[in-house]
Amino acid sequence: MKRILLTCLVLGALTLMLAPLTSLGQRPMSAHPELDHVDLDCSSCHSCEEPTIQEPCLKACPRHAAMQKTGQHQLSEAPDTIMLAEIADQFQPVRFNHKLHAEMAEMGQDCATCHHYSPEDEIPPCKECHGGEANPTNLRQPSLKGAYHRQCLSCHREWSHDTKCVVCHLPAEGSGVVAMGYDSTDIIGISHPVITEPEKKVYHTPYEEGPVVTFYHKEHIELFDLRCVDCHQEENCSYCHDLQKPAQLAKSQEEVHAMCNNCHLNDACSKCHDTKERPGFTHASTGWELGRYHQGLDCRACHPTGKRISRLSNDCVACHGGWNQENFDHAVTGLRLDELHQMMECEDCHVDLQFTQTPDCTGCHDDGRTAEFAPPGDWINE
Amino acid sequence: MAINRRNFFKLAAAGSTALAVGKAHADDSGLTVDCSDNYGVLVDTAVCIGCRRCELACDQEHTKSGRPPESFDDKSVYEKHRRPNKDAFTVVNEFADPAKPDDKYTMKVQCMHCNDPACASACLVGALRKDAAGPVVYEEWRCIGCRYCMVACPFQIPTYEYDKALEPRVRKCTFCYERITEEGQMPACVAICPNEALTFGTRQRLLEVAHYRIKSHPERYVDHVYGEKEAGGTSWMYLAPAEFAHTELPRLDHSAIPTLTETIQHGIFKSFLPPLALYGLLGLIMHSTREKKDRSEESSNHD
Ligand code: SF4
Ligand code: SF4
Repeated sequence: MKRILLTCLVLGALTLMLAPLTSLGQRPMSAHPELDHVDLDCSSCHSCEEPTIQEPCLKACPRHAAMQKTGQHQLSEAPDTIMLAEIADQFQPVRFNHKLHAEMAEMGQDCATCHHYSPEDEIPPCKECHGGEANPTNLRQPSLKGAYHRQCLSCHREWSHDTKCVVCHLPAEGSGVVAMGYDSTDIIGISHPVITEPEKKVYHTPYEEGPVVTFYHKEHIELFDLRCVDCHQEENCSYCHDLQKPAQLAKSQEEVHAMCNNCHLNDACSKCHDTKERPGFTHASTGWELGRYHQGLDCRACHPTGKRISRLSNDCVACHGGWNQENFDHAVTGLRLDELHQMMECEDCHVDLQFTQTPDCTGCHDDGRTAEFAPPGDWINE
Repeated sequence: MAINRRNFFKLAAAGSTALAVGKAHADDSGLTVDCSDNYGVLVDTAVCIGCRRCELACDQEHTKSGRPPESFDDKSVYEKHRRPNKDAFTVVNEFADPAKPDDKYTMKVQCMHCNDPACASACLVGALRKDAAGPVVYEEWRCIGCRYCMVACPFQIPTYEYDKALEPRVRKCTFCYERITEEGQMPACVAICPNEALTFGTRQRLLEVAHYRIKSHPERYVDHVYGEKEAGGTSWMYLAPAEFAHTELPRLDHSAIPTLTETIQHGIFKSFLPPLALYGLLGLIMHSTREKKDRSEESSNHD
């Protein structure tokens, strides 16, 4: 009897001693008494449901250690763009330009600006720690949705004061969500204080045949109706706002050419390169000096099509073909026609519709008069 | 472990099995109930971005006012201070510390779902009650339209359908009662909040989270969880980057509003005490006068 009792006691004691080892899954905190004061559950650190000492299945983000550094990492290690496609039923996948944002992060705490809690040797993606749904046993940790939005919106909201979903999310087809009326890559266009563009830039290049490039920046924008992003693509806030690194403003030769080549791909080098500084654009350089009627006009009034400005015919009727004696007010020329002459066709005086030539009066008058000495109306002073 | 919405609740309740309001408890709130296992929401106004999605979700879930979804993108509403009403159970307002007027922050307001609700206490017919899960529930079939709840609420939350001639109702946030108790989901506003400025869970866990956030980011928050103690504690609680005095949340005592009035009222009315007491009192008077009479008669006899 005594022996049986003793065996029972020994067995009981053994079970008690082994208990903490075997029940790791159910009672996590007893497995880590040092963490008793932190509000953690197994899934904060372990990726499997029942971690054991042999197979702890540790995640790469030990939150309690809170390592606010990412070691030495190169931007080139990371993908340039990342597609976030978790809610593809409502919105198209978000194309997140990681490179562009990472460049800006250099103004903050480098990678750790966004990648908090990363171990030295690895930067885990957000998904590794943040689950698809809020975790009821660890309410401190936002879900993946919360984590993404907090990261993005804390800055985006500051510069654009905008929290519309469609700034980042293009609506999926048939979702009923209304697309945004503007281009989300056009940061300056969305919300930015007015930038005063430089009047003119003169570049001295290593190109021997034409070392000087004169670029009339303001004129280019006005002439071609350009937005900043049309040329400054893939640029981010740090290009101007990172005061520590003005060197970044100096673009490589390829980058500069790429900007111009958006429009000038088929142009010869001499389009921009010259041996000396060039004057700005005057209409006379196109071979057609603007007279008094055209001077005040906006370029678009005559050249309405696209970014390319096409050469127009010098012939007046090429543009003004629709004019006749009924709808043309001759007074704009400075000569108000008298009643008699108002009835006549244009061609009756302007032979072959050559309006730059002196009008011909001999069709009706054989007294040798000219319009200069016997005008067919009154000259009016402007 | 994959966590879906349904077992969110199983998990949240694990370890704290009884979801009961009736547990005896005593602290400085003077409250006789322990609400730590009730559901609540922690509103972190430092994380809120003022996107008004919560207003949209609430409108689609409850008020169905017919406002187009795009109208909730309009930020100009922040120029005027708004209050919840019968067509909007929750509204987002913008605030700033007057010393730092440019540091604006946004705050969602709705019924706080008090632990010991003054509205329910004031209601003559029990149309409002604190549910064991946390929500303060309104049952319109009981309501007689006296609107005492509107007067009693320290947060001025309940509103009334004055425009309805027939069966007007008291309207206020329901804490998505059906969603959270029957459908096993989070409230609609919590579910939609993109920044997770709203955290749903048991009151006790929320308080842990709130104090952890204050401790780990003292630069971001004032050291005050609004609703932890105010009015005896509320299910909805707030964290803020500046003093709550700048917001519309009133400065309130820690004791529950109804505690005082109720102790007297309920003491009297409890278990038909008034009739019994009345008859008892009358009996007592009768008895004592008779005794006096008897005694005087007796004494006169002795004389
Ligand atoms: S949905 Fe969330 S972030 Fe947006 S206003 Fe409401 S509480 Fe704030
Ligand atoms: S906030 Fe007002 S309406 Fe809501 S539970 Fe408290 S007393 Fe009642």
